Parts: sequence; C-alpha cells; structure tokens
Amino acid sequence: MMNARSYQGNPQKNSPALGATLAFLGVNGLLALLHGSQGCSSFIRLQLSRHFREPIPLNSTALLEDSAIFGGWEYLKKGIAVAADKYKPQIIGVMSTGLTETFGDDMVSALSSLRSERTDLLDLPVVLASTPDYIGSMQEGYQRTVESLLTTLTANSEIAEEVSGSSKAEEDSKARGQSESLPAVVLLPGCHLTPGDVDELKEIVSLFGFQAITIPDLSISLDGHAELEAAPLVQGGTLLEDFRRLAKCRACFSFGLSMEKAGDFLKRTYGIPHTNFPSLTGLAAADSFILTLARLTGRPIPEKVLRQRDRLLDTLVDFHDQLGKLRVAVALEMDLLYSLSSCLAEVGAEITLALAASPAGIHRLSLPVPIEVGDLEALEEGAQTSTLIIANSNGRQAADMLKKPHLRAGLPVFDRVGYPQKCWIGYEGTQQFLFDTLNSQSK
Amino acid sequence: MFTNLTKLDLKDKPSLAEAGSPKLCMKALPGEGAERSCAYDGARVVLMPITDAAHLVHGPIACAGNSWDNRGARSSGSQLYRRGLTTDLLENDVIYGGELKLKEAILEIAAKHQPKAIFVYATCVSALIGDDMSKICAEAEAELPIPVIPVNAPGFLGDKNIGNRIAGEVLFERVIGSGDVSAEKIPLSINLIGEYNIAGDLWGILPDLKNLGITLQTAITGDAKFDDLRSAHRACLNVLICSKSLTNLVRKMEIRYGIPFIEGSFYGIHDTSATLIAIAKALQDPDLLVRTQAYVQKRERETRAIIAHHKKRLENKQAILFTGGVKTWSMVSTLAELGINILAGGTQNSTPEDFQRMKELMDPTAQIIEDTSSAGFLKIIAEKKPDLIVAGGKTKYLAHKTRTPFLDINHGRKLPYAGYEGMVTFAESLTRTVFSPVWGYLRAEFPPVGG
Repeated sequence: MMNARSYQGNPQKNSPALGATLAFLGVNGLLALLHGSQGCSSFIRLQLSRHFREPIPLNSTALLEDSAIFGGWEYLKKGIAVAADKYKPQIIGVMSTGLTETFGDDMVSALSSLRSERTDLLDLPVVLASTPDYIGSMQEGYQRTVESLLTTLTANSEIAEEVSGSSKAEEDSKARGQSESLPAVVLLPGCHLTPGDVDELKEIVSLFGFQAITIPDLSISLDGHAELEAAPLVQGGTLLEDFRRLAKCRACFSFGLSMEKAGDFLKRTYGIPHTNFPSLTGLAAADSFILTLARLTGRPIPEKVLRQRDRLLDTLVDFHDQLGKLRVAVALEMDLLYSLSSCLAEVGAEITLALAASPAGIHRLSLPVPIEVGDLEALEEGAQTSTLIIANSNGRQAADMLKKPHLRAGLPVFDRVGYPQKCWIGYEGTQQFLFDTLNSQSK
Repeated sequence: MFTNLTKLDLKDKPSLAEAGSPKLCMKALPGEGAERSCAYDGARVVLMPITDAAHLVHGPIACAGNSWDNRGARSSGSQLYRRGLTTDLLENDVIYGGELKLKEAILEIAAKHQPKAIFVYATCVSALIGDDMSKICAEAEAELPIPVIPVNAPGFLGDKNIGNRIAGEVLFERVIGSGDVSAEKIPLSINLIGEYNIAGDLWGILPDLKNLGITLQTAITGDAKFDDLRSAHRACLNVLICSKSLTNLVRKMEIRYGIPFIEGSFYGIHDTSATLIAIAKALQDPDLLVRTQAYVQKRERETRAIIAHHKKRLENKQAILFTGGVKTWSMVSTLAELGINILAGGTQNSTPEDFQRMKELMDPTAQIIEDTSSAGFLKIIAEKKPDLIVAGGKTKYLAHKTRTPFLDINHGRKLPYAGYEGMVTFAESLTRTVFSPVWGYLRAEFPPVGG
C-alpha cells in the first residue's frame, strides 16, 4: 500500500541527524556540532525544543554556496576549531548531513588535518557520527552516534586503568558519593526511551544493588529541571570519566534492538557480558529484565518490584475485557512500535496496523500483523476500523480526519505536556500505559 | 538554475553600516553558534501559508520531516497547506537521481489531494545531485490542469532572508497576474505583504479594515487562497508588513502593475493607527481619510482604556528585546506604549534600515546586542537582569532557565498580537508572565538559609 507511493505524506520519520543530536545531548560537557547548512540545525533545535521544552544546544558548520562547489572539509575544520576556542567543551560531537555526505566530506581526515595544525587540540575528544539524511530515521542516527561515542571515548579505557591504578576518575566518582563497592553495569537505552524511562531503569537497577553507567543519560540532561544556568554545552548526562570506567563493568544491558550492536561492541572489545532487551514494556518484557537482574545478583527480587508486578497483574484481570476490545493502529519508530504493540498484543488487544518509520530491524522483530514501513498518510488509509491511534503529535491530522482517539507517543509530542517525563517501562510504566490506553476510549 | 536576484540594496549603502549597525545578514562562521536558518526555510516561511496549494519538498527527510506543520500560520478554509509532503530522497535517489521520483510524486499528489497548485521546493541534496527541477515541473504541469511551480532556494544559498526574496520572485513571476487577465483595479483594495496570519494575527486586523470600507484582496501569504494571489495585481495598494525581505516583490509590482506601496506595522496602538492612516492617504480617498482619522482616535481611546490597568502594573519594567524584521522597531513602540523601558535590543534577519529605526526609537543608553548566539544572549541577560524578555520562541526555554519572565512574539505563539485587539492580548500576556507567582519560587533558596 505505502510502498506504491513516490512521496511521503505527513512523514513520521525524523532525520537521522536529529537522532544523533538526541544521543549527544545525553553526554555531559559535550558540544554538538552539525556539519551542514544552518537550516539543518535550526529545524532540529526547534523540533527537539518543542518536544522537551528545553533549550537545545546545537552548533553548526553553517555551510554556504561555495561549499557546494569546494566541499565542506575546510568548514568542518574551522567549525571544530572555532567551537573549541569559543566554548571550551570537554568533548565535541560532530554529525554529518545529507549535504556533506553527498559531497563526500571525509570527516576523519578533516579532524586529523586539524590536529596536525592545532596540536593544542590533540587531547580534545571529537566523536564523529555519520548520519546522512537519506539513510534511515531518528533511530538509526541515534544508534550510529551511540556506537561512535563508545568506540571513540572508551578507546584508552583499559590502558588508563592499568597505568594509573587508582585513577582520577575513581577519585572523582568517590567524591560524587558513589561507592566503588557497588558493582557497576552499563545501560544502553535506545532512543525510544524517555528521560523518565531512563530514570526508572536506573532505579530498578539500583534496587538490585548495582551502580549504573548509562550511555547516553538523558535522565539527567533532558529531564526538564530548573538548572542554575543554561549553556551552549550539554549539562548533565554521562560523564567523560564514565566512558573510561566502562571496561570494569560486570554486565551490559542494551534496550531496543537498535542498541544491540553497541552492546556487542563492548562485549567484543572488553569482554563484558551483554544482553539485549528489545522491549521493556509489557509483562513478559519486564519479567525478562527483572529475572536477568535477579540471576546476575543471586539475590531475591526486591519486595517493591514484586509488589509492582502484582499491581500490574491485578490491572490485567480487572480490565481484560476492555483490553480485549481494543483495535489499535500504531505508527512509530521501530523500537517503540515493537515495545508498545507487543505489550498490547500480549494482553489481548488487536493490532490492526503497525507502521514503522524506517525498515531497521524489520526482519527480526515480529508482531501479530506484518510490520510495514509507512507515513501518516498510510495511517489515515489503514486505520479506519481501529478504535485507537498511537503515533507522535503529527498523527493529529489522521486522528482528526478519522475521528479516532489519539494517544501520543514517540517524538515529537508538542500538543500534550509532560511526555519527556512520562514512563512507559517496567511493571509500573506498563500499568500506566495500559491505563492511558483504556482512558482514551472513554467518551 | 537559480533565480537571478536583483542586487541586495543594502550593499549599495555602506553609510548605514558606518552609522553603527552591527553586521547584519553577514555569513555566520562555522562553529560560532549563530543559530540562524537557511534559504529553504526562508522560502517555505513565505509560501507555505498558501492554504489550498500542496507544498512538496524535494529532498531527504531532514528538510520536511523535522519541520512540517510547525508554524502557527492559520487558515480559515483549506488545511491542505499543513500536510507534510516530501519526495524523501533515499540513498539510491542520491546515486541515480531523483527526477523520476519527483515527477511521479507531483502527479500522485495532484490526483490524491486536488490542490489548486503545487509548489516544489529544492533542497541542498536535490540541487547537488543535479536534479533539473524546473524541467520536471514543466513536464508535470503539461500533464495537469494546475500550475506546478519550482522554488529554487536550496539551504546552502544563504540564510532565511535570501529564501524570502526568492519566494517573492516566485510569486511575482509565476503566481501574481497569472490567472486573472483583468487589469481593472478593485476599489479601495490592498494587499498585506509579509503578513502570515501567525496565530490568527490577520483576523485581528480584518475587522478594522472592514469597518473602514477597505477591501483586503489578499495577504501575502497569510490565510491566502491561490486564486486570490493570482489577482493580487488588481489591488490599489501594497502594504509591506514584514519589512524588507519582500521589497523586491512590491517594487516589481509597482513597475509592472502600477501599484504603489507603503510600509507599515500592525503591532501596537501607535503603529496600527499610523498604518491605517497611511493606507487611507495612499488610497487617495479624502472621505476615507476623514473616516480613518476619526476611527483610529476612537479605537485608540477604547484600547488605551482597556489596557490602562495593565500599563499601570507594567510601567517602568525593564525589558530585553530580541527579534527580527519589522518587529525590530515595531515592538519598541509597542513596549513603550505600556511604559516598558528597553535595556537592550538585538535582531536577526533584519536589514540595516530596520535596525536603524529600532535604534532611533530606543533610549540612547539602551545596549545593542552584538553576539546573537545563545551564549551572547545569556551573557546580556546576566549583565542586565531585565524584568522581562520579549523574543522569539527559540529563546523561550533558554530564557526560562535564567528565571526571567518571557514572551514569545514570533511564529510559535498561540495568541494574536496584531491590531488594536492584539494590543490588548499582548498586554494581558505580558502581565501574566511578569506577575506570575512562579518566579518567586524559582528565585528562593531551598532549603532556606538559616531555616
């Protein structure tokens, strides 16, 4: 149906560079620099700002007409140098765009050329993420950026530990009140998780007695807190030192199929056992995560968690009839599409339509209906018999036209408040998601 | 392939730069964090409010996907303009070219959505891979009963202003006068140029025009229908609202169709009255002028009476103003109307003329904001500690972090501020933010010192 068209009508896709921005925004002291024209960064700032209701620090190499002829290589060198001099970031994160990937700008050689000219910048970590606008969606851009963050910033991890013994990083983390006696685990949340979700994830892990290193950590950068001052750099998020402590972690958990590769990198490079959880929403998904944690610690499941599970079970019983009547059309980025749809299918709801923003993972994830790649015009065409639409705020045109209730999820959500803080995972988040779904059916 | 622009007139006038204007519309440096936008954005701002046309973006997802249906331009009729349409160029299109896909897309959109016209926007990628958009649009047009209009303003051409100008050229060459061959003028009619009906601004101005017997032929392009735009050449007068970016359009319309133009603004009591009177004078109808003079006096009295209690509370508050275009100077007098002093003012996307006008209206001690990046903006807030900030939506959450009352006057806002009615709404909004109880909670120490 949707593949027959030569255009996207009301796209649900966000650009890969927007996903890259999101990942970079979870790393403390980082300056995000988009290699492209000024509109690329302007649109991303506006889109993320109206979703998170936060200022979005995103710089640009501000390409102009001459770059279309000569390429943007020199602009990139200059951009990194100017940003480093003016803003003194701890890390610079660069993402490419359709424009610069079409030129074929080689970011790696630009960086090494700059470093040979500016030896004072040799020690400044620069993370390069290749995110051409014409490949994939937000999820792919975010995924590639997390992979680049890991490969670039953990580079000297083991060596640093060996040489310095009790490293400065350890002292710093002690100073921050983290006890080194707690075993550490790495959490790699996908872009389908909100800052509220990441917060909950860290909470669950700490109930099992783990200290978490979360990459990226949006729960302390884009959680919408009244900080002391805004800055052109990311404030909050994963610390640079934490990347260098990764090698010592007991285990790595990645969330969303898109994060599997990043976790596998840590397993391959540092021998950290890695488990991927495609979803954390729904009873089976939450059980799988909780049981994994319990096995790893050898401890019983905490009372609080068991209580939350019992509450969820009670909700399932109380509302099984209403849940069974739901006919839901879902259009979201793949990992979130899979998480929410599989949760609904598990409790007896019918998924009538599952539209992914891009094909990533389409052959490995399965739902009771075939997953299709499609836009929100396809949602309009395919959701006629549904009783509920789940999509980002841009689904409002389809919902208005079909006169269906519309539960907002994903990004952007700009016409409802509180979405960055909302939690959709674990027993409690699942229960809340089902409540929202059921309430949407009330007249 | 690109529209041949007449030279920017600001280049011919070095005197203004010497008179102390910051370097406006200059190239942004890579990495400096100027936070401006691109030519494509400028073109879409001007053309996308045309309500019954389809707007197809020929590019990868970044150009349309991150931005469709995100401006507050409102429509009283068709909602077609809000639809996000893009060829969504993928890797293979970049390699093999996107021309075939574009033509198919145009034909499919024409069939499914029945638009009055289709505007097709070039982007950086479509321009770089060498797609001949003009040729494809012409081919598609030959197969369709509607105009298919290429807009060649790829992002890398420059910032927003250049895109605004290209959009103006497109309107002049391809839309205005294209369907309606009659040259007969419509009595007492005007076009409002650069009025985009943000948050329904236009609807705040229309009742006053109607009361005075002035006919709005079309706004360019707020709540505009394609056919009304085609007949825009039959108006007696062009009123340029959003200052300079569409000056070329009105100059060309003056030459080809003999339509004189004036500049004006509908922000604030003073400027609204001055603009209405200027319109009456320019329409050269003595009776209209007399009517208008009496009318604006009455409306000023009424409006001032309604906002008096707001003025009393807002008087002597200190503001920082940061905006662009006509609002640069128009907001100065609007704030002055409420007794608000301006500590510092800055602008993006404004011409030296706009800027000089702002400077003349402001207190000589007011500071000019030179560094328009977030960092520069934060620095000046920290220095000046204003009672309120009046600026565009993109600085909103930045301003909130400084715990300072803030009012969004650009395209993201929900309330109309134009005309006399708009002035009341504006005063109410200002009062709500300045006197909101939340600021005290944010400034208080917690836990309390010594408590």
